[in-house]
Amino acid sequence: MKRSKTMELGVGLFMLAGILGLIFLGLRVSGLSLEAPGDSFRLEASFANVGGLKPRARVTMAGVTVGRVETIELDTEWYDARVVMELDAELEGALPEDSTAAILTSGLLGEQYVGLSVGGAPETLDDGDRIRDTQSALVLEELIQQFVSNMVKE
Amino acid sequence: MTDSPLVEVEGLRFSRGETEIFRGIDMAVPRGKITAIMGPSGTGKTTLLKLIGGQLTPDAGRVRIDGQEVHALSRKALFGLRRRMGMLFQSGALFSDLDVFENVAFPLRVHTDLPETMIRDLVLMKLQAVGLRGARELMPSELSGGMARRVALARAIALDPELILYDEPFVGQDPISMGVLVQLIRRLNDALGLTAVVVSHDIKETLSIADYVYVISDGEVMAHGTPQSLDVDRDPRVSQFIHGEPDGPVPFHYPAMDFHADLLGTGGPR
Amino acid sequence: MIERIRHLGRLGCEVLEGLGRAAIFLGLSVAGLPSAEGIRLWLRQMHFVGVMSLAIILVSGLFIGMVLALQGYTILVDFGAEDALGQMVALSLLRELAPVVAALLFAGRAGSALTAEIGLMKATEQLTSMEMIGVDPLRRVVAPRLWAGFVALPLLTIGFSVIGIWGGQLVGVQWLGVFEGSYWGNMQASVDFLDDVANGLIKSLVFALVVTWIAVYQGYALIPTSEGISRATTRTVVYASLAVLGLDFVLTALMFGELS
Repeated sequence: MKRSKTMELGVGLFMLAGILGLIFLGLRVSGLSLEAPGDSFRLEASFANVGGLKPRARVTMAGVTVGRVETIELDTEWYDARVVMELDAELEGALPEDSTAAILTSGLLGEQYVGLSVGGAPETLDDGDRIRDTQSALVLEELIQQFVSNMVKE
Repeated sequence: MTDSPLVEVEGLRFSRGETEIFRGIDMAVPRGKITAIMGPSGTGKTTLLKLIGGQLTPDAGRVRIDGQEVHALSRKALFGLRRRMGMLFQSGALFSDLDVFENVAFPLRVHTDLPETMIRDLVLMKLQAVGLRGARELMPSELSGGMARRVALARAIALDPELILYDEPFVGQDPISMGVLVQLIRRLNDALGLTAVVVSHDIKETLSIADYVYVISDGEVMAHGTPQSLDVDRDPRVSQFIHGEPDGPVPFHYPAMDFHADLLGTGGPR
Repeated sequence: MIERIRHLGRLGCEVLEGLGRAAIFLGLSVAGLPSAEGIRLWLRQMHFVGVMSLAIILVSGLFIGMVLALQGYTILVDFGAEDALGQMVALSLLRELAPVVAALLFAGRAGSALTAEIGLMKATEQLTSMEMIGVDPLRRVVAPRLWAGFVALPLLTIGFSVIGIWGGQLVGVQWLGVFEGSYWGNMQASVDFLDDVANGLIKSLVFALVVTWIAVYQGYALIPTSEGISRATTRTVVYASLAVLGLDFVLTALMFGELS
């Protein structure tokens, strides 16, 4: 009987360790937060070109991560990309209406993210609003093309 | 109804691959008696037990136990029928991860909801019957072959079955444990009124306890009768087997070409 | 020519027949409600296949994490991207290495032991005698082992990932001097719980089922001689490893193949 008690304890510890490991993977490795998902609001922004931006990319403000890209889809009316972002709830009603969104690249080879800069208008953005002033991703090929055609003109 | 045989086998045919093992076997096992099935090794005696226990399905023919046709039963009904049967395996087949006590208690725990104290009493009774009450805490690996078989016997009778099948109970036993087993089988039968089927090729021991004997050879019942009648049977095949003569109708040699021609290398490729 | 085709046909029939038998075997084993007794047997097997495999899994995970960090660092540092080390270690472990390597180790450590154990029970007629007592060995012997394997391997895979990521941190941060904040920060930014952690676990659930299934079936269906047992044990490891690697490709293609 004693042997089966220690065995049960061993199995119990084993399973507990597995569950703790899963929690570690969730919180520490994939950065899930325990906060309720309701603590956020959505903003939209249209870009002429999103380059390599992907869903779940970071949205930053002054370098601080304040949210994530939720979806990217083609707007069939204007044929540009509509990006829906999920931002921390504390920013709701705090961002001026003329704030700008730009697609930036971290380092030369790093991943692309959305950078927000604050404007100065008195009106503020609320859940579901759209950021009008946007700056598309830099596409390396286009840059080179421009550069070459400028050279040719001169 | 109680006078009808407990086990009836009719026209049983069974083959494994290309070889035909049984070519129509008929036998009847009377209630409360010890019936022996004998025959030279390799005649499929163990296979016959497995057919009776419903572990193998025959190609043709029927096996009826207490009027129920074994191979027409559903899996569930078959397992129900097996609760009324005990089987003693050649190797004992004790569960190696349980000790002696738990091995004997196993059928009780599985098939009954008896309280723990009752199970303990029953197990000790069965172990007492085979003389191994003192060995209850040993593991099967610590038992000698004869002891393992006695524990297996205690397990086989744990549920007080009506029918008990013995598969080669005497093989590989020293004379003392052989004597103990012979006595146990006879005594269990007399005391509990069990019906027993013993499969064996140990002639002396088997004939000493059996009430009725079937001799099987070449897939057929070669002879049957009481031990006394078989002893004086004049069929040369039967008397060769019963009296253990080395050569006779059952040849000593495996079928081969002429020995002289084989030595001279004239008969074939090798 | 016709003989050849006939031979091929017979081969196909045999393979299908074998698969069918194995599938029926699986169905009969896992069917039925668990009882208190079943849970006790399951616990015992969890101890055997899970707890006893923990040491080898954790040690292997630690070394693989450390090697990944070492190898990854020398490549990433050329691009000045050593900050992405955590991301690389975590993604390789979670998506591929942990499920696959843990399953392979599990097949070798626990799978072969399951085959040999069940095979020995068959060779000593324990399974037959259980049937004669009126207990279904599929329920009593096979089912607890199947369930234990199914639960244990995903847990072991989690352990493998965790200790591997920690081992990578040990080498990358403590030894090679990657900034600790960027090791974890980059990891958190790029690892997605559903896409990476959960998909890795789904993989390992599939592997657990396949490996344990192969192991117990090989044990149950083997020819009960000493040669038969040794062959079946070898077959368990070979078939299980091939199945894991093959299925890994299929699952990876399904999960990550069409990520735009």
